[in-house]
Order: sequence, then C-alpha cells, then structure tokens
Amino acid sequence: MSAGSIAAGIAAGGFVGTLVLTTVLRAAGEAGLTRMDVPFLLGTVVTVDRARAKAIGYVLHFVNGQVFAFAYFAVFLAIDRTGWWLGALFGLVHGLFAGTALVNILLPLVHPRMGSRSTSAPDVALLEPPGFLMLNYGPGTPLVTVPAHVAYGALVGGFASLAG
Amino acid sequence: MRTARDSPGTGRLRSPAGAVARVDGYAPLRDYAVIGDGRTAALVARDGSVDWLGLPDLDSPAVFGAVLDARRGGRFRLEPAVPYRAERRYLPGTNVLETTFVTGRGTVRVTDALTLHDDTALSPMRELLRCVDGLSGSVPLRWSVQPRPGYGGRRVRLVRRSGVPVATTGRAALAVCAWEAGDPECEGDTVGGRFELARGRRAVIAMPFADQEPLVLPARHEAETRLERTGAAWRGWTHDRTYAGGWHEAVTRSLLALKLLVFAPSGAVAAAVTTSLPEDIGGERNWDYRFSWVRDSAFTLAAFLRSGCPTEAQAYFWWLMHASQVTHPELNVLYRLDGGHRTPERTLPWEGYRGSGPVRVGNAAVGQVQLDTYGELLQTAWLYARAAGHLDADVARRLAELADLVCATWRRPDSGIWEVRSPPRHFTQSKMMCWVALDRAVDLAERRLIPDRHISRWRAGRQAVRDFVESRCFSPYRDCYVRSAGSEDVDAAVLLGLLHGYGDARDPRLRSTVDAVERELRQGPYVLRYTGEDGLRGTEGAFVACSFWLAEALARTGRVGEATRLMDDLVALANDVGLYSEEMDPADGAFLGNLPQALSHLALVSAACAIDAAGAGDAPGAGPAGAGADG
Repeated sequence: MSAGSIAAGIAAGGFVGTLVLTTVLRAAGEAGLTRMDVPFLLGTVVTVDRARAKAIGYVLHFVNGQVFAFAYFAVFLAIDRTGWWLGALFGLVHGLFAGTALVNILLPLVHPRMGSRSTSAPDVALLEPPGFLMLNYGPGTPLVTVPAHVAYGALVGGFASLAG
Repeated sequence: MRTARDSPGTGRLRSPAGAVARVDGYAPLRDYAVIGDGRTAALVARDGSVDWLGLPDLDSPAVFGAVLDARRGGRFRLEPAVPYRAERRYLPGTNVLETTFVTGRGTVRVTDALTLHDDTALSPMRELLRCVDGLSGSVPLRWSVQPRPGYGGRRVRLVRRSGVPVATTGRAALAVCAWEAGDPECEGDTVGGRFELARGRRAVIAMPFADQEPLVLPARHEAETRLERTGAAWRGWTHDRTYAGGWHEAVTRSLLALKLLVFAPSGAVAAAVTTSLPEDIGGERNWDYRFSWVRDSAFTLAAFLRSGCPTEAQAYFWWLMHASQVTHPELNVLYRLDGGHRTPERTLPWEGYRGSGPVRVGNAAVGQVQLDTYGELLQTAWLYARAAGHLDADVARRLAELADLVCATWRRPDSGIWEVRSPPRHFTQSKMMCWVALDRAVDLAERRLIPDRHISRWRAGRQAVRDFVESRCFSPYRDCYVRSAGSEDVDAAVLLGLLHGYGDARDPRLRSTVDAVERELRQGPYVLRYTGEDGLRGTEGAFVACSFWLAEALARTGRVGEATRLMDDLVALANDVGLYSEEMDPADGAFLGNLPQALSHLALVSAACAIDAAGAGDAPGAGPAGAGADG
C-alpha cells in the first residue's frame, strides 16, 4: 500500500472519527448518560473561562484526534495491515487506555485545575477527577466512551483501508 | 481524675472538664475532635484514641470505626499508662490537634495531624502522624493500632517490611513507623508498644497509607518536617480569611472545620465526617452524612464568599453544576463527593454507637423528592452570579430549565427539608423555596444572566406559589407559617423563608412566625426542628442549625440584643475545641448526630455575619448574602 495515500486517508479518518466520537459524547451528555466532556476538560487546561475553554477544547480535541490517528498509522505501517476491524480493535484498546490510564491517571497529574488523589487542603480542585473508567462522570460513561472510541478507530482504519 | 480504661455502667455521658470517661467503651460524642487533610478526616477522642478514619477518602470504608463498634471497629489508641486528665486545643489557626495529658508522674503532649503533601520529601499517599513530647517528669505511655479495613469486613495480613509492621488487605496497605515509642509488637492483627517519655524527649508514630500504589515509608525527620509544614499551611490558609466580626474565634474555627469537609479533589462539601452517629441514643435515627447535600449549597456559597474563600466558592459551584448534570433537570437531594449520584443504603454488622443500630452506609434519601433543593440551587447560582458577574451559557441554560421544572412540579407533595420517611406532604418550607427558585430565576433573567424566554411563566408560577403558601400554609390560630399545608405543627425550617428571601423583616407573618418558633420550639438556647410525626420511632435532640437560624432571624427582625445573647449562648455550647455536631440534648448539652456537622457551622457563620450587620446598623436583608428580591 502507498504510505502517502494512506496518510491522507488517516487524516480524513482521524477528522471524521473525532467528529463522530465528539457527537456521540455530546449526545450522551444531553441524554443524561454521562457528564464526560472532553473539549471542556482539555480547554480548562489553558483557561478558567468556561465558554472559551470549550471553544479551545474543541480545537485541541481535533488536534488530538489527528495525533492518535497517526499513532494508529504508525502501527498499520509496522504490521503492514489495515482495515476497519483492525482500527476498531485499536479503538477498543484506545478507549480502555483512555479510561484507565490516560484520563484517569495522567490528565489529573498534568491538568492545572483538575483534582487528583493527591490534591489536599488547603488546595481545592476546580474540576473533579474522572476516576477509574471515568465512572465519576456517571455510571454510563464507559458504556459510551468505549464504543465511541471503537467507532473512531473503525473510521480511521476504514478510511486508511479505502485510501490504500 | 479517672482512668481512660473503659468503665462499666450506663447512663448519660458528659465528662467534666479534663476528665476522660467512656461507657461500655464509648466516649461522649462531645469528646471528639477532628483532624483532616482535605481528602479524609479522623475523629480523635479526648483520651487520645482515633476512633474513626476512612481511607483513602472521607467517604471510603473506615479503617478505624470504634465510635460505631467499640469492640470490633478498630482504633489507634495512644495514652498514658497511668491515670491522667486531658486538655486539648487546636494549634492556633490550624487543624492540628494538641492533647496534653497531665499525670501524677509528669506531663506529655500529643500532636495529631493528617499531614499535607510535602515538596521536600516523597510523601505517603495519606499519613496519620502522632508526635508525643515530654513536658515534665517521666510518663509511661502505651499505644496500639487495630486496623479494621473495609468497615472490619476485610481480613488483615500483618507482616514486617524492613522491620516495619505493615497491614495489607488486597489493594491497600498501611504501616506503623515508630521512633522512640518502644518496639512495635505485632499480636494477631494489632500493632502496639509501650514506652516511657522523659521531659525534653519526643516520640513519633507515623501511619502511612497507600491504595493501589506502593507504600511510602517516611524517615523520621521527613515526617516531623511535614508536620511543621502542615501547621504552616493551615495557618497560611487561616490568615487569608476575612471575617472580622464579633465572634472571630468561633467563625474561624467553623471555617477551619468546613475546610476539613471540603473534598479537595473535587470541591464538594461533605455534610459531616461520619455516618450513623445517632440522633437518639439507642434509636434508629442513624444516617450516613458523608455526601454533599444540594440543600446546604446556598449557605455554603454565602459562607465562602463572605469569609474570603473565592477559590472554594468557585470550586464548589463548578462541582455542583457538574455533579447535577447527569440527573438534569431533576436534582438529586445529595451527591457523592466524587460527583456520582448513586448512594445505595445498606447496614453494617456493627452494634452502633452505644447500641444505636442500625449502622447505615449510603443514604436512601437520595431518591426522595425534596422540592426545596431547587430553591437552594438557584439561590446559590444567584449568589455566584452576583459575585462573578456572569454565568456561562451552559449553566445559564440549565438554570432556566430548572426554573421551568419548578413551575411544572411545585404542586407535588414532597419529603421536605427534614427528609421525613412518612408519606410526602405539602411542606411549607419546600413551597417557600420553590418561590425563591422562581424569584431568583426572574431576577437572573431580568439581569440577562440566564435566558428570559419563559420569564412570564416564572412570574406567574411565583405568584401561584405565594398564593398557595399564604392561603394554606399560614395558621391564624397559631399565628405562624405551619409545617405543612393544613397542619397546625410548627417547623423551625420556615425561618429559612426569612433567611433566604421568601419575605423580608417587615412581613408581620414572618415576624410572628419567629415568635412562634421561640414559643413552641425553643428550650433555652436549644431549638427543636418541628412538632408532629416523621415516620420514625423515637425522639431526637435539638437541631443546632435551627438555633443559629433563630438567632439570625431575630437579628433580621431587629431584635439584635436578643440575637446577640442567643448567639453568645450558642457559641458557648461548642465542645472544648469549637466543634458542633448535628444535634444536642437540651437536658445536658450532649452531642447527638454526625459530627462535625457542616450545616451547624454554616449556620453559625451566617448568623454571626447577619448579627454583625444588623448591629452595625445595616438594613436587614432577605437572603444570606444580605440582599433579597421580593416578588
């Protein structure tokens, strides 16, 4: 397969995948299934203005979507295989990683306004930590976030496959 | 002088100053002080026993629970091995506790803290630190640590790592590091030691804890440095508080107690440190208060804003709006400190404080309909918006939807502010707070801080609620607002109508209601909650917050002298370290209910500020921020 054309597919898949993932999470929030709001969590890294945080967060979220898509791309190249189902598998791993390590452990440590298990008096966190599988944001959160990541991965893999 | 050993017998528990008394292994609730680190908190009895500690967090299962089961609950004892009397205080401006044991052989001082993180050393995840200083003579002491993790439900394995006793239970572990405190001996699942401390010597016992990570075993100098820094951090926090009124010491201690109830990782404010401390000794009124009640939000935000805690105020409001998102537009009565909204209730196989079972964890009130919470949330948002000058679009939209919900639901009966477990009723205070909800929504919309599309609906709803309250919730016979529509019972909660702005100090009905509460519910400085039944067996004590609400109501209605006298009496009712539980026994001042209780301390701060303002000649306000809006 041609790396250049696949890279274009990866970029497109990353964009569409992030679009779908974001839409699913937003819709789940409106439906009362979760309080997870990735753009808000990302945007509040740089500002306490909630409205600006969400705007900046969406930009950062789409940038992250591209970063992860190209991480998938590296693995596709390494194993010389691609496809929507392989992408979906990556998405599953990605979703579980996000819920158990990335957002649960790493984000609270680097986020200047998010609480972690280390936050103590007299400091106060402005944002509650997501917890294991982001369950602090509602019991339905992993049921939404993991499938959303699977969809993201499938779209990245699918677009890469189509481009290849 | 009495010994700290468990003494037989039953009866009332109130130890005279300095003496230490336990009945059937239970200390008087008045004898407890609290220490904490913003994530968890411990109760320390006058006799030096840590009888309650949840780890790693405030709402985690207890490792020490002797306050709820003296035999099986587990504790960390540390006391002279000879008869003694004890005096104690918090180090000024801190939540570091200092207990001085005076014996016939000399005097020692124990300093207790849950330490804060240290920048200079690797800190344990959580650390209970106890330092003992010899002040005079030479005093023999004994100590023992009986960890009972998971409310005593998990098996403890006691091993030694690098010579240090370590208790492990699956994913969690705690160690007992002792310096100059005798050789720790392990016996069964208990670690203990004996030592003698001479004047000028210091013994240190550290109990680091880890959950899902390796234990950090501190060096002695690191632990002692961390204690110093912990005291300094608390003093720094206290220094920045701004209350300068007539009850400075009581308000400062209340703020420090409230700060211990702020769950730092999320900003939530717990209602109390404990679960199931009884409102009626031997009775069934035992509830888990380690959650955050929306009901407390207005007082919480007002207290934070008035005392120069804008960070805590912002964090709490953000948390409140974030936590309530999943259930929106309906509000849970309470939320977990991590923002979760499920708090299933179950009972533990513990006997309960002095036989007061059941011991409950979780709280079934989460599923009740309590309409007043909408009023409190909108009042909170109103206070926040006034302080911040704006509300973000999402929050504004959700507040407008809450007002719509109030319009649709205010006619429902509910369980009310006191969370009765009898059938729902049309409680007056609930309706008054529905009025407050709609009034604040109208005000916010008029200021263009929330969408105003439904403002006419809110105005009409507001008037309908007022018509209901005025026609059905006021008794000409009692000459006061009554507990619920059509009843003749008196309820101190209707004072909140005055405090939160349903009406103002000129309203003759509210003024006569203040008189009725004094007449029917007040016993000296104590104020009972209500007359009438509530679906539970047994009786209860006087509700501390109601006493402060009455003091505030007296001040707002111009009776400043009477309010000041009542306030002075109430401040004197705190225990020796300035803490309040939920209730007190009017007969002897014994503490009842969970402690320290956020609402009691919030009501103290609110009353102090209101009386100060009234005494300074400020116009009586309608709400806790000193301003209100009439519909």
